[in-house]
Amino acid sequence: MSSIPEYMTAKHRECDEVFCQAEAAVAERNWPLALTNWQCFASELTEHLAQEEEVLFPQFEQATGMTTGPTQVMRMEHQQMRALVQELDNALAAKAKDEYLGLAETLMVMMQQHNMKEEMMLYPMMAQHLSDGDQLIEGFKGSKVA
Amino acid sequence: MNMSGLSFNALPPIDLPFRFFISAPLFIIACALLILFSGEALWLSRWQANMLALTHGFTLGFLTMVMMGALLQLLPVIGGIGLAKPRLMASTSHILYSAGVIALMLNFIFAENWLTISALILLSLGFGIYLCAIIWLLVKKISQSDAINGFRLALTSLVVVLLLGVLLLASRAGITMPFTLDKQFTNIHALFGLVGWAGILIISVSFQVLPMFHVAPNMPKYIRQYLSVSIFIFLLVYMVYAEFALGLIVISHGVFALTLFYVINQRKRKIDDTSIKYWQLAAATLLLLNVLYFLPDSFYRSADTPLFIALPDKTMLLTAIFIYFYLLSVIQAMLLKILPFLSYTHLQQRCLIDFSAMQFIPHMHEFLNKKQGLALYYLHILSGLSLLAVICEPSLYVFFAACLLLEFSWLLLLMIKCMHLYFTVSQKIHLSNKA
Repeated sequence: MSSIPEYMTAKHRECDEVFCQAEAAVAERNWPLALTNWQCFASELTEHLAQEEEVLFPQFEQATGMTTGPTQVMRMEHQQMRALVQELDNALAAKAKDEYLGLAETLMVMMQQHNMKEEMMLYPMMAQHLSDGDQLIEGFKGSKVA
Repeated sequence: MNMSGLSFNALPPIDLPFRFFISAPLFIIACALLILFSGEALWLSRWQANMLALTHGFTLGFLTMVMMGALLQLLPVIGGIGLAKPRLMASTSHILYSAGVIALMLNFIFAENWLTISALILLSLGFGIYLCAIIWLLVKKISQSDAINGFRLALTSLVVVLLLGVLLLASRAGITMPFTLDKQFTNIHALFGLVGWAGILIISVSFQVLPMFHVAPNMPKYIRQYLSVSIFIFLLVYMVYAEFALGLIVISHGVFALTLFYVINQRKRKIDDTSIKYWQLAAATLLLLNVLYFLPDSFYRSADTPLFIALPDKTMLLTAIFIYFYLLSVIQAMLLKILPFLSYTHLQQRCLIDFSAMQFIPHMHEFLNKKQGLALYYLHILSGLSLLAVICEPSLYVFFAACLLLEFSWLLLLMIKCMHLYFTVSQKIHLSNKA
Protein backbone atom coordinates (compact mmCIF):
# COMPACT_ATOMS: atom_id res chain seq x y z
CA MET A 1 0.00 0.00 0.00
CA SER A 2 1.44 3.40 -0.90
CA SER A 3 0.80 6.79 0.62
CA ILE A 4 -0.47 9.92 -1.16
CA PRO A 5 2.96 11.63 -1.33
CA GLU A 6 4.63 8.44 -2.53
CA TYR A 7 2.13 7.56 -5.25
CA MET A 8 1.45 11.06 -6.56
CA THR A 9 5.17 11.95 -6.63
CA ALA A 10 5.88 8.77 -8.59
CA LYS A 11 3.19 9.87 -11.06
CA HIS A 12 4.95 13.22 -11.51
CA ARG A 13 8.15 11.36 -12.40
CA GLU A 14 6.31 9.13 -14.90
CA CYS A 15 4.81 12.18 -16.57
CA ASP A 16 8.25 13.85 -16.72
CA GLU A 17 9.75 10.80 -18.34
CA VAL A 18 7.25 10.43 -21.16
CA PHE A 19 7.22 14.21 -21.64
CA CYS A 20 11.00 14.16 -22.17
CA GLN A 21 10.66 11.31 -24.66
CA ALA A 22 8.16 13.33 -26.69
CA GLU A 23 10.41 16.38 -26.56
CA ALA A 24 13.45 14.37 -27.68
CA ALA A 25 11.47 12.90 -30.59
CA VAL A 26 10.41 16.38 -31.73
CA ALA A 27 14.02 17.58 -31.51
CA GLU A 28 14.91 14.76 -33.91
CA ARG A 29 11.88 15.52 -36.08
CA ASN A 30 10.62 11.98 -35.49
CA TRP A 31 6.97 13.08 -35.73
CA PRO A 32 5.22 9.68 -35.43
CA LEU A 33 7.18 8.80 -32.28
CA ALA A 34 6.65 12.32 -30.94
CA LEU A 35 2.90 11.99 -31.40
CA THR A 36 2.74 8.61 -29.64
CA ASN A 37 4.77 9.86 -26.68
CA TRP A 38 2.93 13.15 -26.53
CA GLN A 39 -0.48 11.47 -26.47
CA CYS A 40 0.74 9.15 -23.77
CA PHE A 41 1.89 12.15 -21.72
CA ALA A 42 -1.33 14.06 -22.30
CA SER A 43 -3.49 11.18 -21.11
CA GLU A 44 -1.25 10.56 -18.05
CA LEU A 45 -1.49 14.25 -17.20
CA THR A 46 -5.25 14.37 -17.67
CA GLU A 47 -5.68 11.39 -15.38
CA HIS A 48 -3.35 12.81 -12.74
CA LEU A 49 -5.06 16.21 -12.71
CA ALA A 50 -8.47 14.56 -12.49
CA GLN A 51 -7.35 12.46 -9.51
CA GLU A 52 -6.34 15.65 -7.78
CA GLU A 53 -9.26 17.87 -8.75
CA GLU A 54 -12.05 15.32 -8.45
CA VAL A 55 -10.89 13.29 -5.47
CA LEU A 56 -7.94 14.54 -3.44
CA PHE A 57 -8.61 18.29 -3.45
CA PRO A 58 -12.30 18.03 -2.49
CA GLN A 59 -11.47 15.55 0.27
CA PHE A 60 -8.72 17.83 1.55
CA GLU A 61 -10.95 20.88 1.40
CA GLN A 62 -13.63 19.02 3.32
CA ALA A 63 -11.20 17.77 5.95
CA THR A 64 -9.54 21.15 6.56
CA GLY A 65 -12.30 23.57 5.63
CA MET A 66 -9.84 25.40 3.36
CA THR A 67 -11.44 26.01 -0.01
CA THR A 68 -9.62 29.18 -1.00
CA GLY A 69 -6.13 28.15 -0.02
CA PRO A 70 -3.47 26.05 -1.72
CA THR A 71 -5.89 23.82 -3.63
CA GLN A 72 -7.36 26.86 -5.35
CA VAL A 73 -3.92 28.00 -6.50
CA MET A 74 -3.19 24.48 -7.73
CA ARG A 75 -6.45 24.37 -9.69
CA MET A 76 -5.63 27.68 -11.37
CA GLU A 77 -2.18 26.40 -12.29
CA HIS A 78 -3.75 23.23 -13.71
CA GLN A 79 -5.88 25.43 -15.94
CA GLN A 80 -2.77 27.21 -17.18
CA MET A 81 -1.03 23.90 -17.80
CA ARG A 82 -4.00 22.69 -19.85
CA ALA A 83 -3.77 25.85 -21.96
CA LEU A 84 -0.10 25.13 -22.66
CA VAL A 85 -0.90 21.51 -23.48
CA GLN A 86 -3.41 22.79 -26.02
CA GLU A 87 -0.77 25.04 -27.60
CA LEU A 88 1.66 22.13 -27.71
CA ASP A 89 -1.00 20.02 -29.42
CA ASN A 90 -1.29 22.69 -32.10
CA ALA A 91 2.48 23.02 -32.52
CA LEU A 92 2.81 19.26 -32.89
CA ALA A 93 0.00 19.10 -35.42
CA ALA A 94 1.72 21.85 -37.44
CA LYS A 95 5.11 20.10 -37.02
CA ALA A 96 6.47 23.43 -35.79
CA LYS A 97 9.65 22.20 -34.11
CA ASP A 98 10.99 25.44 -32.62
CA GLU A 99 7.58 26.52 -31.39
CA TYR A 100 7.03 23.09 -29.80
CA LEU A 101 10.44 23.11 -28.07
CA GLY A 102 9.90 26.63 -26.72
CA LEU A 103 6.48 25.69 -25.36
CA ALA A 104 7.83 22.40 -24.03
CA GLU A 105 10.54 24.19 -22.05
CA THR A 106 7.85 26.48 -20.68
CA LEU A 107 5.49 23.69 -19.64
CA MET A 108 8.42 21.80 -18.17
CA VAL A 109 9.45 24.60 -15.80
CA MET A 110 5.84 25.32 -14.93
CA MET A 111 5.25 21.67 -14.06
CA GLN A 112 8.47 21.42 -12.06
CA GLN A 113 7.58 24.45 -9.96
CA HIS A 114 4.04 23.21 -9.54
CA ASN A 115 5.21 19.71 -8.62
CA MET A 116 7.69 21.06 -6.12
CA LYS A 117 4.93 22.89 -4.30
CA GLU A 118 2.69 19.83 -4.28
CA GLU A 119 5.45 17.46 -3.22
CA MET A 120 6.94 19.68 -0.56
CA MET A 121 3.76 21.11 0.90
CA LEU A 122 0.42 19.88 -0.32
CA TYR A 123 0.88 16.10 -0.42
CA PRO A 124 2.43 15.92 3.06
CA MET A 125 -0.47 18.06 4.32
CA MET A 126 -2.92 15.69 2.65
CA ALA A 127 -1.24 12.69 4.20
CA GLN A 128 -1.66 14.38 7.55
CA HIS A 129 -5.32 15.33 7.17
CA LEU A 130 -6.81 12.50 5.11
CA SER A 131 -7.11 9.42 7.28
CA ASP A 132 -8.27 7.30 4.34
CA GLY A 133 -5.45 8.48 2.04
CA ASP A 134 -4.04 5.01 1.44
CA GLN A 135 -7.46 3.66 0.43
CA LEU A 136 -7.93 6.55 -2.01
CA ILE A 137 -4.61 5.65 -3.64
CA GLU A 138 -5.62 2.01 -3.85
CA GLY A 139 -8.76 3.25 -5.60
CA PHE A 140 -6.63 5.15 -8.13
CA LYS A 141 -4.61 2.05 -8.80
CA GLY A 142 -7.73 -0.05 -9.31
CA SER A 143 -9.64 2.24 -11.63
CA LYS A 144 -9.09 5.17 -13.95
CA VAL A 145 -10.83 8.28 -12.66
CA ALA A 146 -10.55 10.26 -15.85
CA MET B 1 1.66 24.61 9.34
CA ASN B 2 3.10 27.16 6.95
CA MET B 3 0.51 27.62 4.21
CA SER B 4 2.07 30.72 2.71
CA GLY B 5 4.68 28.54 0.99
CA LEU B 6 2.11 27.58 -1.58
CA SER B 7 1.32 31.11 -2.49
CA PHE B 8 3.47 33.12 -4.83
CA ASN B 9 3.09 36.27 -2.84
CA ALA B 10 6.51 35.44 -1.45
CA LEU B 11 8.20 36.32 -4.77
CA PRO B 12 9.78 39.77 -4.64
CA PRO B 13 9.06 42.12 -7.59
CA ILE B 14 11.08 41.06 -10.64
CA ASP B 15 12.82 44.40 -11.16
CA LEU B 16 14.77 43.76 -7.95
CA PRO B 17 16.75 40.71 -9.15
CA PHE B 18 16.86 42.25 -12.63
CA ARG B 19 18.80 45.27 -11.40
CA PHE B 20 21.44 43.02 -9.82
CA PHE B 21 21.69 40.95 -13.01
CA ILE B 22 21.98 43.86 -15.38
CA SER B 23 24.68 45.59 -13.29
CA ALA B 24 26.90 42.49 -13.38
CA PRO B 25 28.12 42.52 -17.01
CA LEU B 26 28.78 46.26 -16.72
CA PHE B 27 31.48 45.49 -14.16
CA ILE B 28 33.21 43.04 -16.51
CA ILE B 29 33.03 45.58 -19.31
CA ALA B 30 34.76 48.01 -16.92
CA CYS B 31 37.33 45.27 -16.17
CA ALA B 32 37.98 44.83 -19.91
CA LEU B 33 38.72 48.55 -20.20
CA LEU B 34 41.01 48.32 -17.17
CA ILE B 35 42.92 45.46 -18.84
CA LEU B 36 43.18 47.47 -22.01
CA PHE B 37 44.66 50.51 -20.25
CA SER B 38 46.87 48.62 -17.78
CA GLY B 39 49.06 46.95 -20.38
CA GLU B 40 51.34 43.94 -19.91
CA ALA B 41 52.50 44.85 -16.41
CA LEU B 42 49.10 43.85 -15.00
CA TRP B 43 49.89 40.16 -15.53
CA LEU B 44 53.21 40.05 -13.68
CA SER B 45 51.80 39.29 -10.23
CA ARG B 46 48.51 38.78 -8.42
CA TRP B 47 49.59 41.51 -5.99
CA GLN B 48 49.61 44.26 -8.65
CA ALA B 49 47.20 47.01 -7.61
CA ASN B 50 45.31 46.87 -10.90
CA MET B 51 45.14 43.07 -10.66
CA LEU B 52 43.44 43.43 -7.27
CA ALA B 53 40.96 45.83 -8.90
CA LEU B 54 40.41 43.29 -11.66
CA THR B 55 39.85 40.28 -9.38
CA HIS B 56 37.38 42.25 -7.24
CA GLY B 57 35.59 43.48 -10.37
CA PHE B 58 35.09 39.86 -11.41
CA THR B 59 34.28 38.38 -8.01
CA LEU B 60 32.24 41.17 -6.43
CA GLY B 61 31.09 43.11 -9.47
CA PHE B 62 29.96 40.09 -11.46
CA LEU B 63 29.80 36.83 -9.49
CA THR B 64 28.53 38.13 -6.17
CA MET B 65 26.24 40.63 -7.88
CA VAL B 66 24.45 37.86 -9.83
CA MET B 67 24.34 35.55 -6.82
CA MET B 68 22.81 38.28 -4.65
CA GLY B 69 20.11 38.85 -7.26
CA ALA B 70 19.45 35.13 -7.71
CA LEU B 71 19.19 34.47 -3.96
CA LEU B 72 16.46 37.11 -3.69
CA GLN B 73 14.30 34.86 -5.86
CA LEU B 74 15.62 31.44 -4.99
CA LEU B 75 15.13 31.61 -1.25
CA PRO B 76 11.40 32.36 -1.45
CA VAL B 77 10.91 29.62 -4.09
CA ILE B 78 12.96 26.94 -2.32
CA GLY B 79 12.29 28.02 1.22
CA GLY B 80 8.66 29.02 0.80
CA ILE B 81 9.02 32.28 2.69
CA GLY B 82 9.28 35.90 1.56
CA LEU B 83 11.64 38.72 2.48
CA ALA B 84 10.49 41.60 4.64
CA LYS B 85 10.31 44.93 2.78
CA PRO B 86 12.03 43.49 -0.32
CA ARG B 87 11.97 46.70 -2.37
CA LEU B 88 13.54 48.91 0.27
CA MET B 89 16.12 46.30 1.21
CA ALA B 90 17.12 45.27 -2.32
CA SER B 91 17.24 48.76 -3.84
CA THR B 92 19.23 50.24 -0.96
CA SER B 93 21.70 47.37 -0.75
CA HIS B 94 22.09 47.29 -4.53
CA ILE B 95 22.98 51.00 -4.77
CA LEU B 96 25.34 50.93 -1.79
CA TYR B 97 26.95 47.70 -2.91
CA SER B 98 27.48 48.81 -6.52
CA ALA B 99 28.98 52.11 -5.37
CA GLY B 100 31.11 50.16 -2.89
CA VAL B 101 32.55 47.85 -5.56
CA ILE B 102 33.33 50.84 -7.79
CA ALA B 103 35.03 52.62 -4.87
CA LEU B 104 36.97 49.43 -4.03
CA MET B 105 38.25 49.04 -7.60
CA LEU B 106 39.20 52.72 -7.78
CA ASN B 107 40.90 52.48 -4.38
CA PHE B 108 43.21 49.80 -5.75
CA ILE B 109 43.92 51.74 -8.93
CA PHE B 110 44.48 55.21 -7.48
CA ALA B 111 45.48 54.37 -3.88
CA GLU B 112 43.63 57.36 -2.43
CA ASN B 113 42.72 57.19 1.24
CA TRP B 114 39.24 58.66 0.77
CA LEU B 115 38.44 55.96 -1.80
CA THR B 116 39.55 53.24 0.62
CA ILE B 117 37.36 54.65 3.37
CA SER B 118 34.42 55.10 0.98
CA ALA B 119 34.75 51.48 -0.16
CA LEU B 120 34.92 50.35 3.45
CA ILE B 121 31.76 52.20 4.43
CA LEU B 122 29.71 51.53 1.27
CA LEU B 123 30.52 47.81 1.09
CA SER B 124 29.93 47.28 4.80
CA LEU B 125 26.54 48.98 4.53
CA GLY B 126 25.54 47.37 1.21
CA PHE B 127 26.54 43.88 2.30
CA GLY B 128 25.31 44.52 5.83
CA ILE B 129 21.74 45.39 4.82
CA TYR B 130 21.53 42.51 2.34
CA LEU B 131 23.03 39.95 4.71
CA CYS B 132 20.83 40.99 7.64
CA ALA B 133 17.71 40.50 5.50
CA ILE B 134 18.81 37.11 4.15
CA ILE B 135 20.12 35.85 7.49
CA TRP B 136 16.84 36.90 9.12
CA LEU B 137 15.13 34.71 6.53
CA LEU B 138 17.43 31.75 7.09
CA VAL B 139 17.18 31.93 10.86
CA LYS B 140 13.38 32.22 10.74
CA LYS B 141 11.43 29.06 10.05
CA ILE B 142 12.19 28.08 6.53
CA SER B 143 11.68 24.63 5.03
CA GLN B 144 14.76 22.51 5.58
CA SER B 145 16.65 21.09 2.66
CA ASP B 146 20.25 20.26 1.83
CA ALA B 147 20.31 23.27 -0.49
CA ILE B 148 19.19 25.61 2.29
CA ASN B 149 21.84 24.20 4.65
CA GLY B 150 24.44 24.84 1.92
CA PHE B 151 23.18 28.42 1.56
CA ARG B 152 23.76 28.89 5.28
CA LEU B 153 27.40 27.75 4.96
CA ALA B 154 27.93 29.90 1.86
CA LEU B 155 26.55 32.97 3.61
CA THR B 156 28.66 32.25 6.70
CA SER B 157 31.69 32.18 4.39
CA LEU B 158 30.60 35.49 2.90
CA VAL B 159 30.48 37.00 6.38
CA VAL B 160 34.05 35.74 6.98
CA VAL B 161 35.20 37.20 3.63
CA LEU B 162 33.57 40.50 4.48
CA LEU B 163 35.09 40.71 7.96
CA LEU B 164 38.58 39.88 6.68
CA GLY B 165 38.09 42.33 3.80
CA VAL B 166 37.09 45.07 6.23
CA LEU B 167 40.26 44.44 8.28
CA LEU B 168 42.42 44.52 5.12
CA LEU B 169 40.84 47.76 3.94
CA ALA B 170 41.05 49.35 7.39
CA SER B 171 44.73 48.48 7.52
CA ARG B 172 45.16 49.95 4.04
CA ALA B 173 43.45 53.13 5.24
CA GLY B 174 46.14 53.44 7.91
CA ILE B 175 44.32 52.02 10.93
CA THR B 176 46.78 50.04 13.07
CA MET B 177 45.90 46.40 13.67
CA PRO B 178 46.82 44.44 16.77
CA PHE B 179 48.13 41.63 14.53
CA THR B 180 49.93 41.33 11.20
CA LEU B 181 47.85 40.98 8.06
CA ASP B 182 50.22 38.84 6.02
CA LYS B 183 49.79 37.06 2.69
CA GLN B 184 48.28 34.03 4.41
CA PHE B 185 45.59 36.34 5.79
CA THR B 186 44.80 37.53 2.26
CA ASN B 187 44.80 33.92 1.03
CA ILE B 188 42.19 33.00 3.65
CA HIS B 189 40.10 35.99 2.53
CA ALA B 190 40.34 34.92 -1.13
CA LEU B 191 39.74 31.22 -0.51
CA PHE B 192 36.67 31.80 1.67
CA GLY B 193 35.34 34.01 -1.10
CA LEU B 194 36.00 31.73 -4.05
CA VAL B 195 35.45 28.32 -2.46
CA GLY B 196 33.28 29.10 0.57
CA TRP B 197 30.91 31.74 -0.71
CA ALA B 198 30.79 31.19 -4.49
CA GLY B 199 31.75 27.49 -4.53
CA ILE B 200 29.44 26.19 -1.80
CA LEU B 201 26.58 28.29 -3.14
CA ILE B 202 27.01 26.77 -6.60
CA ILE B 203 27.15 23.25 -5.17
CA SER B 204 23.95 23.88 -3.21
CA VAL B 205 22.19 25.43 -6.17
CA SER B 206 23.12 22.45 -8.34
CA PHE B 207 21.17 20.15 -5.97
CA GLN B 208 18.07 22.11 -6.88
CA VAL B 209 18.42 23.22 -10.49
CA LEU B 210 19.73 20.08 -12.19
CA PRO B 211 16.75 17.94 -11.18
CA MET B 212 14.36 20.81 -11.81
CA PHE B 213 15.40 22.08 -15.22
CA HIS B 214 16.87 18.93 -16.70
CA VAL B 215 14.82 16.16 -15.06
CA ALA B 216 17.99 14.69 -13.63
CA PRO B 217 18.09 12.40 -10.59
CA ASN B 218 18.90 13.93 -7.23
CA MET B 219 22.57 14.04 -6.30
CA PRO B 220 23.50 11.07 -4.10
CA LYS B 221 22.39 11.60 -0.51
CA TYR B 222 25.87 11.55 1.02
CA ILE B 223 27.02 14.24 -1.45
CA ARG B 224 24.04 16.43 -0.62
CA GLN B 225 24.54 16.00 3.11
CA TYR B 226 28.30 16.06 3.50
CA LEU B 227 30.02 17.77 0.56
CA SER B 228 29.33 21.41 1.46
CA VAL B 229 29.98 20.91 5.14
CA SER B 230 33.24 19.04 4.42
CA ILE B 231 34.48 21.85 2.19
CA PHE B 232 33.58 24.36 4.88
CA ILE B 233 35.51 22.36 7.49
CA PHE B 234 38.53 22.15 5.14
CA LEU B 235 38.38 25.94 4.80
CA LEU B 236 38.59 26.23 8.58
CA VAL B 237 41.50 23.74 8.64
CA TYR B 238 43.18 25.85 5.93
CA MET B 239 43.76 28.60 8.48
CA VAL B 240 46.14 26.28 10.36
CA TYR B 241 47.33 23.64 7.87
CA ALA B 242 47.10 25.47 4.56
CA GLU B 243 48.81 23.02 2.21
CA PHE B 244 47.03 19.94 3.60
CA ALA B 245 43.57 21.55 3.57
CA LEU B 246 43.97 22.98 0.07
CA GLY B 247 44.66 19.50 -1.30
CA LEU B 248 41.47 18.22 0.35
CA ILE B 249 39.49 21.15 -1.05
CA VAL B 250 40.73 20.40 -4.56
CA ILE B 251 39.90 16.69 -4.19
CA SER B 252 36.40 17.53 -2.86
CA HIS B 253 35.77 19.52 -6.00
CA GLY B 254 36.97 16.56 -8.05
CA VAL B 255 34.35 14.42 -6.30
CA PHE B 256 31.72 17.06 -7.06
CA ALA B 257 32.80 17.06 -10.72
CA LEU B 258 32.38 13.28 -11.00
CA THR B 259 28.97 13.52 -9.36
CA LEU B 260 27.99 16.26 -11.78
CA PHE B 261 28.99 14.12 -14.75
CA TYR B 262 27.02 11.19 -13.34
CA VAL B 263 23.86 13.20 -12.67
CA ILE B 264 24.03 15.00 -16.02
CA ASN B 265 24.50 11.70 -17.80
CA GLN B 266 21.49 10.22 -16.01
CA ARG B 267 19.18 13.14 -16.85
CA LYS B 268 15.98 12.29 -18.66
CA ARG B 269 15.87 15.49 -20.72
CA LYS B 270 18.45 14.81 -23.38
CA ILE B 271 17.71 17.59 -25.84
CA ASP B 272 20.52 20.04 -26.67
CA ASP B 273 20.85 22.58 -23.96
CA THR B 274 23.48 25.28 -23.51
CA SER B 275 23.19 25.26 -19.72
CA ILE B 276 24.12 21.58 -19.72
CA LYS B 277 27.16 22.39 -21.87
CA TYR B 278 28.19 24.99 -19.30
CA TRP B 279 27.79 22.50 -16.43
CA GLN B 280 29.85 19.93 -18.32
CA LEU B 281 32.53 22.53 -18.96
CA ALA B 282 32.48 23.41 -15.25
CA ALA B 283 32.83 19.74 -14.22
CA ALA B 284 35.67 19.13 -16.70
CA THR B 285 37.40 22.24 -15.33
CA LEU B 286 37.31 20.87 -11.79
CA LEU B 287 38.92 17.62 -12.96
CA LEU B 288 41.59 19.56 -14.86
CA LEU B 289 42.27 21.58 -11.71
CA ASN B 290 42.92 18.33 -9.83
CA VAL B 291 45.53 17.38 -12.43
CA LEU B 292 47.16 20.81 -12.44
CA TYR B 293 47.17 21.09 -8.65
CA PHE B 294 48.90 17.78 -8.10
CA LEU B 295 51.50 18.26 -10.87
CA PRO B 296 55.04 18.48 -9.43
CA ASP B 297 56.36 22.02 -9.00
CA SER B 298 58.95 21.41 -11.70
CA PHE B 299 56.17 21.87 -14.28
CA TYR B 300 55.68 25.48 -13.25
CA ARG B 301 58.04 28.30 -14.19
CA SER B 302 60.94 25.94 -14.35
CA ALA B 303 63.70 25.47 -16.89
CA ASP B 304 63.60 21.67 -16.50
CA THR B 305 59.87 21.30 -17.12
CA PRO B 306 58.92 17.99 -18.72
CA LEU B 307 56.52 19.89 -20.98
CA PHE B 308 57.47 21.75 -24.13
CA ILE B 309 56.71 24.97 -22.27
CA ALA B 310 56.85 25.77 -18.55
CA LEU B 311 53.45 26.51 -17.03
CA PRO B 312 52.96 30.02 -15.64
CA ASP B 313 52.65 30.91 -11.97
CA LYS B 314 50.64 28.09 -10.38
CA THR B 315 48.42 30.18 -8.08
CA MET B 316 47.50 32.62 -10.81
CA LEU B 317 46.83 29.89 -13.35
CA LEU B 318 44.68 27.76 -11.04
CA THR B 319 42.73 30.74 -9.69
CA ALA B 320 42.06 32.08 -13.19
CA ILE B 321 40.83 28.68 -14.38
CA PHE B 322 38.66 28.23 -11.28
CA ILE B 323 37.06 31.65 -11.65
CA TYR B 324 36.66 31.72 -15.41
CA PHE B 325 35.95 28.16 -16.43
CA TYR B 326 34.17 27.02 -13.28
CA LEU B 327 32.45 29.87 -11.40
CA LEU B 328 31.66 32.06 -14.40
CA SER B 329 30.49 29.08 -16.46
CA VAL B 330 27.98 27.97 -13.85
CA ILE B 331 26.77 31.54 -13.27
CA GLN B 332 26.13 31.91 -17.01
CA ALA B 333 24.40 28.52 -17.12
CA MET B 334 22.15 29.77 -14.35
CA LEU B 335 21.47 33.11 -16.03
CA LEU B 336 20.42 31.40 -19.26
CA LYS B 337 17.78 29.49 -17.28
CA ILE B 338 16.81 31.97 -14.64
CA LEU B 339 16.18 34.99 -16.91
CA PRO B 340 13.43 33.39 -19.02
CA PHE B 341 12.20 31.35 -16.05
CA LEU B 342 11.70 34.38 -13.81
CA SER B 343 10.18 36.43 -16.61
CA TYR B 344 7.71 33.68 -17.43
CA THR B 345 6.87 32.77 -13.84
CA HIS B 346 6.17 36.33 -12.80
CA LEU B 347 3.88 36.92 -15.78
CA GLN B 348 2.17 33.56 -15.34
CA GLN B 349 1.38 34.31 -11.71
CA ARG B 350 -0.31 37.54 -12.80
CA CYS B 351 -2.58 35.51 -15.08
CA LEU B 352 -3.85 33.14 -12.37
CA ILE B 353 -6.87 35.34 -11.83
CA ASP B 354 -7.15 36.81 -15.33
CA PHE B 355 -6.73 33.59 -17.29
CA SER B 356 -7.43 35.21 -20.66
CA ALA B 357 -4.22 37.27 -20.35
CA MET B 358 -2.19 34.03 -20.68
CA GLN B 359 -2.35 34.52 -24.45
CA PHE B 360 0.08 37.45 -24.18
CA ILE B 361 2.88 35.47 -22.51
CA PRO B 362 5.64 34.36 -24.86
CA HIS B 363 7.26 30.97 -24.35
CA MET B 364 10.67 30.55 -22.69
CA HIS B 365 12.72 30.57 -25.89
CA GLU B 366 11.21 33.86 -26.92
CA PHE B 367 12.56 35.42 -23.73
CA LEU B 368 15.99 33.99 -24.44
CA ASN B 369 16.71 32.65 -27.88
CA LYS B 370 18.49 29.28 -27.79
CA LYS B 371 20.94 30.05 -30.58
CA GLN B 372 21.87 33.35 -28.97
CA GLY B 373 22.47 31.52 -25.69
CA LEU B 374 24.72 29.06 -27.50
CA ALA B 375 26.67 31.96 -29.03
CA LEU B 376 27.34 33.22 -25.49
CA TYR B 377 28.81 29.81 -24.61
CA TYR B 378 31.22 29.90 -27.54
CA LEU B 379 32.20 33.48 -26.72
CA HIS B 380 32.84 32.34 -23.14
CA ILE B 381 35.17 29.57 -24.28
CA LEU B 382 36.97 31.96 -26.60
CA SER B 383 37.56 34.55 -23.90
CA GLY B 384 38.54 31.79 -21.42
CA LEU B 385 41.21 30.58 -23.84
CA SER B 386 42.37 34.14 -24.38
CA LEU B 387 42.72 34.49 -20.59
CA LEU B 388 44.99 31.42 -20.52
CA ALA B 389 46.96 32.90 -23.40
CA VAL B 390 47.46 36.22 -21.63
CA ILE B 391 48.65 34.50 -18.45
CA CYS B 392 51.32 32.68 -20.49
CA GLU B 393 52.09 35.65 -22.73
CA PRO B 394 51.09 39.03 -21.19
CA SER B 395 51.55 40.89 -24.48
CA LEU B 396 48.26 39.30 -25.64
CA TYR B 397 46.26 41.46 -23.23
CA VAL B 398 44.47 43.36 -26.02
CA PHE B 399 43.09 40.07 -27.36
CA PHE B 400 41.73 39.10 -23.93
CA ALA B 401 40.20 42.53 -23.34
CA ALA B 402 38.49 42.43 -26.76
CA CYS B 403 37.07 38.94 -26.07
CA LEU B 404 35.77 40.06 -22.68
CA LEU B 405 34.14 43.12 -24.20
CA LEU B 406 32.48 41.00 -26.84
CA GLU B 407 31.23 38.28 -24.48
CA PHE B 408 29.83 40.53 -21.80
CA SER B 409 28.31 43.08 -24.17
CA TRP B 410 26.52 40.12 -25.72
CA LEU B 411 25.34 38.93 -22.31
CA LEU B 412 24.16 42.45 -21.51
CA LEU B 413 22.25 42.57 -24.78
CA LEU B 414 20.56 39.21 -24.08
CA MET B 415 19.51 40.49 -20.66
CA ILE B 416 18.15 43.75 -22.06
CA LYS B 417 16.16 41.89 -24.72
CA CYS B 418 14.65 39.54 -22.15
CA MET B 419 13.76 42.32 -19.75
CA HIS B 420 12.35 44.49 -22.51
CA LEU B 421 10.05 41.67 -23.60
CA TYR B 422 9.01 41.12 -19.99
CA PHE B 423 7.99 44.74 -19.50
CA THR B 424 6.18 44.91 -22.86
CA VAL B 425 4.08 41.84 -22.00
CA SER B 426 3.61 43.03 -18.46
CA GLN B 427 2.06 46.21 -19.81
CA LYS B 428 -0.32 44.19 -22.03
CA ILE B 429 -1.42 42.09 -19.06
CA HIS B 430 -1.89 45.22 -17.01
CA LEU B 431 -4.19 46.67 -19.67
CA SER B 432 -6.06 43.38 -19.94
CA ASN B 433 -6.57 43.28 -16.16
CA LYS B 434 -7.98 46.79 -16.23
CA ALA B 435 -10.30 46.06 -19.16
